[in-house]
Amino acid sequence: MTSIDLQQARLFKWKKFATEGAGRLIIFLVGSIILWWLISAFLIERPDRYLPSPLSVVLSSADMLYKGSLISFYSDTLIRLVIGGAVGIAIGIPVGLALGLNRFVADMFYPLMNFFQSVSGIAIFPVIVIWFGNSDTTVLIVILYTSFFPIAFNVLSGVRSVPVRYIQAARTLGASRFQVVRDVLLPGAMPSIAVGTRLSIGFAWRAVIAGEMLAGRPGLGNMIFSGQEFDNTAQILLGMVMIGVTWIVLDHFLLRPLESDTIERWGLVQR
Amino acid sequence: MSGEAKLIIQDLCHHYPDEYTGESVHALEGINLQVYENEFVAIVGPSGCGKTTLLNIVAGLLPYREGRAMVDGNEIHGPGPDRGVVFQEHAILPWRSVARNIGHGLELQRVPKEETRRRVQEYIDLVGLSGFEDRYPHELSGGMKQRVAVARTLCADPVIMLMDEPFAAVDAQTRITLQDELNRIVMATAKTILFITHSVEEAAFLGDRCIVFSRRPGQIKTEIKIDIPREERVWKDMASNPKFTNARDEILRLVRQEVTSDDEH
Amino acid sequence: MTAITEFSIAVQKRVGRQRLLKAFKVLLGSVPFIFLIILWELNTQFVWFDPIEIPPLSDVWGAIFFLQSDCPGFVAAMQQHNDCNLTNNIMSSLGRVILAGVVGIPLGIAFGILAGMNRTISGYLEPVGIFMNSVSGIAWIPLAIVWFGVGWETTLFIMLNTIFWLIFFNTMMGVRAVPKVLVQGVQTLGGSYYDTIKHVYLPGAMPSVITGMRMSLGFGWRALIAAEMIGGDSGLGFMIFVSAVEFKTEEVFLGVILISLIYLISDRYMLVPLEKWTIERWGLVWKPT
Ligand SMILES: Nc1ncnc2c1ncn2[C@@H]1O[C@H](COP(=O)(O)OP(=O)(O)OP(=O)(O)O)[C@@H](O)[C@H]1O
Ligand SMILES: [Mg+2]
Repeated sequence: MTSIDLQQARLFKWKKFATEGAGRLIIFLVGSIILWWLISAFLIERPDRYLPSPLSVVLSSADMLYKGSLISFYSDTLIRLVIGGAVGIAIGIPVGLALGLNRFVADMFYPLMNFFQSVSGIAIFPVIVIWFGNSDTTVLIVILYTSFFPIAFNVLSGVRSVPVRYIQAARTLGASRFQVVRDVLLPGAMPSIAVGTRLSIGFAWRAVIAGEMLAGRPGLGNMIFSGQEFDNTAQILLGMVMIGVTWIVLDHFLLRPLESDTIERWGLVQR
Repeated sequence: MSGEAKLIIQDLCHHYPDEYTGESVHALEGINLQVYENEFVAIVGPSGCGKTTLLNIVAGLLPYREGRAMVDGNEIHGPGPDRGVVFQEHAILPWRSVARNIGHGLELQRVPKEETRRRVQEYIDLVGLSGFEDRYPHELSGGMKQRVAVARTLCADPVIMLMDEPFAAVDAQTRITLQDELNRIVMATAKTILFITHSVEEAAFLGDRCIVFSRRPGQIKTEIKIDIPREERVWKDMASNPKFTNARDEILRLVRQEVTSDDEH
Repeated sequence: MTAITEFSIAVQKRVGRQRLLKAFKVLLGSVPFIFLIILWELNTQFVWFDPIEIPPLSDVWGAIFFLQSDCPGFVAAMQQHNDCNLTNNIMSSLGRVILAGVVGIPLGIAFGILAGMNRTISGYLEPVGIFMNSVSGIAWIPLAIVWFGVGWETTLFIMLNTIFWLIFFNTMMGVRAVPKVLVQGVQTLGGSYYDTIKHVYLPGAMPSVITGMRMSLGFGWRALIAAEMIGGDSGLGFMIFVSAVEFKTEEVFLGVILISLIYLISDRYMLVPLEKWTIERWGLVWKPT
C-alpha cells in the first residue's frame, strides 16, 4: 500500500517538474538542443554551412574566448547599449515632462515627435552615415534616437495620468509649481517612466545590433555579420544565442523587476 | 459667536463661463457669509446647487470675478497654506507613507525636520493612527485614509479648514466614528471649519451653524443655529437630545422644500 | 463684451467649438514642420551645410522624377517595368509586407489559439516565442543570408519571422485572458470544441490580435527596411542604402520620408481604425504592456 502511494507521489512530482517552471524550461532547453543537433547531424546537407551542430558553436565560442575577441565584442556592445540608452533616456524624460506639463507645448510638438518616431532609427541610418561616416558616433546616434521616443511618450502620458486632485491637494498645502512637479507629477509618472525605460532599452538593444552590422563597428552585431561574410555560421549562431540570452537576462532580472517594483511602490493603484 | 471673522464672503456670484458659446452656468448668486474664529459652519443643499463651487473659490482653486472673499483679512488669490482642504475622494499621495503625507505641508513650507517630526507625531496620535506611521495609503482602509487627509490638513496649521463631503465615500459605521472623532479633534485643536455635506444629520451633529442653500443658482436660504456644547455632541446621546432632533428636522424640511420645488420645474 | 469676442462667439456657434479647437490644434502642430522646412530652405540659400549633407528641398522633390525618369508611364510602373526605379522599390517593399502578412497572420493566429487553449502546448511554445522575440528580427539577417542568399527570400523571411511571433504571442495572451465562464457558457449550450473557438476564443482574442498586428507592422516594417539594407536587392531600404553609398543624399532623404509616410499612413488609416472598431465591437480583454 504505502509503497504504491510513494510511487504515485513520485510520479506526480515528475509530472509537475516536467510541466511547470524551471523544470519545464530545462527540459525544453535540453530538448531543443537535442533537436538542433539531430537536424544538423542527419537532416541537412553541409551542416557546417547551414546549421552547425551545437558542439561546433561551443567550440567556436571557446576559440573566440581564447583569442579574447568574444569578451571584447560583448563588452563593446554592452557599453554602447548603456551609453546610448542612458543618454536617450536622460533626454527623453525632461522632454516628456515639458510636453506633459504644458498643453500648448504638447499640441505644438506632438505631431512633430510622432512623425520622427515613425522614421525609425534604422531608416535614418544611411543619413547618419553620410553625416558622420561609419563611426561609433553613428551607432550611438542611432541608439540614442531609437531609445528617446518610447521614454518621452511614456513620461508624457504618465504626467497626464496623475489625478488633478493630487495636484490641487498639494497646491492647497502651499506647494509652488516646482514643488508640485517634484512631489506630485514626477512620482506620479514614475510607473510610466519605468515602463518607458524598459521599452527604450528594448529598442536600443535592437538598434545596437543593427547599427553595428551596418556601420561595421566591432561588437555582437558585427560578429554575426562577419560570420556570414566569412562563411562561419557557427559564429552567427553563437552571436544570436548571446543576443537572445542577454536580452532575456536583462529583461527578466533587471528591467521587469524594476518596472513591477515601481508600479507597486509608486503605483496609483488604490487597493 | 464671539471673536473675529476668519472668513468673509461678500456678494459673491459665480458663473461658469463659456466664452465660446456665450452661454454660462449660473452657479452662485449673492452669497454673504462669515465664519468666525473657532466656529464650525456646515453647509447643506440640494445636489448641484454650488456648494463645491463655493468651497473651491475659498480654497483658491477657482478664480472668481464678482464679489469678495477674504481669509484673515486677505483677499483670496489662488491656493495657499492658510486654507487647508479635505477632499471627498482620497487625495493623499500613494507614494508617500502616512507620516510623510501628514508632514507634506510642513515640508513644503521648509519647516525644520525635528519640528516637523514632532508635530507629525502629535497629529498622528490625535487622529488615532499611531503605529501606522510607515504604512502606505494602499495598506489603509478608506476611513484611515480620510484620517490621514484630515491630519495632513491640520498639521499645516491653516487659518480655516475646508471640508467637501469628507465622509461621503466611507461606509455608514465608519462615518459615525469619524464624525465623533472630528468633534473630538475640533475640541482639541480649536479650528475654524467650513464643512460641506449632503447629510442633514451630519450637518446638525457637527455644525455650530448650519447654512441651507437653495437650488441653483445657489443662494443662502436660511441659517440655523445649533446650540449644543461640543462636549455633549456624541452620537449615543443624540437621539434623546431635542435640540439636535429639532434642528435636524428643521433642516430636513428646508432641504426637502428645495428638492421638491426643483422637481416641479 | 468687445466686438472681437462677439465675432469669435458668432464664428464658434456657426462652425462648432470642437471643430475649431481641432483645427487650431492641427495648425499649432504644423508650426514646427513649417519652421523646419523654412530652416531647410534657408540652409539651401546660405549653405551652412554642404548639399551632400543636407540636399535642397527641391532636389529631394526632383529625386522622385529622376528615379522615375525612364519610366514609360503609369501602366508600365504597375507592371514593374525595369526603368521605374522608385515605384518598383516601393512595390517591392509593400509586396513583401502584404505577402508576409497574408502568410504570417493566419499562421500566428492559428498557433496562438492552439497555445492559448492548451497549457502544455503553450508551455513549450512560450519560451520559443520569448526567445524568438528576444533575438529580434534584425539579428536573424546574417543567418537568413546564409540560408537564402541575398535577395527577396531573406527579407521575406525576416519579416515573416517578426510578424509570426508577435501575432502568435498576442493571440495566445488574448485567448488566455478570455474568461472561462464564457467558454463554459457555450459548452453548456451544447457547443462543440470548434464552436468554442469560433464563438468565444477567436472573437475574445480579436482585439489583442489587432494590437499584435499594429505591433507587427511597427517592428516588421523596421526589420524589413534593415533586412533590405543588409541582405536585400530591392525595396526602399535597399534603395536608400545604395544611394547613401553613392552619396546621393537627396534620394536617401526621399526614401526616408517615404518609409515613414507609408508606415504612418497605414498605421493611422488602416490599423488604428481597425483596432478601434474591434475594441468597440468585442471589448478589450487583454492589453499588451
Ligand atoms: N467646471 C464646470 N463647468 C461648468 N459648470 C460646472 C462646472 N462645475 C460645476 N458646474 C455646474 O455648476 C453647478 C454647481 O456645481 P457644484 O459642483 O458646485 O454643485 P454641488 O452643490 O457641489 O453639488 P453636489 O452636491 O452634487 O456635490 C452644477 O449645476 C454644475 O453642473
Ligand atoms: Mg460637490
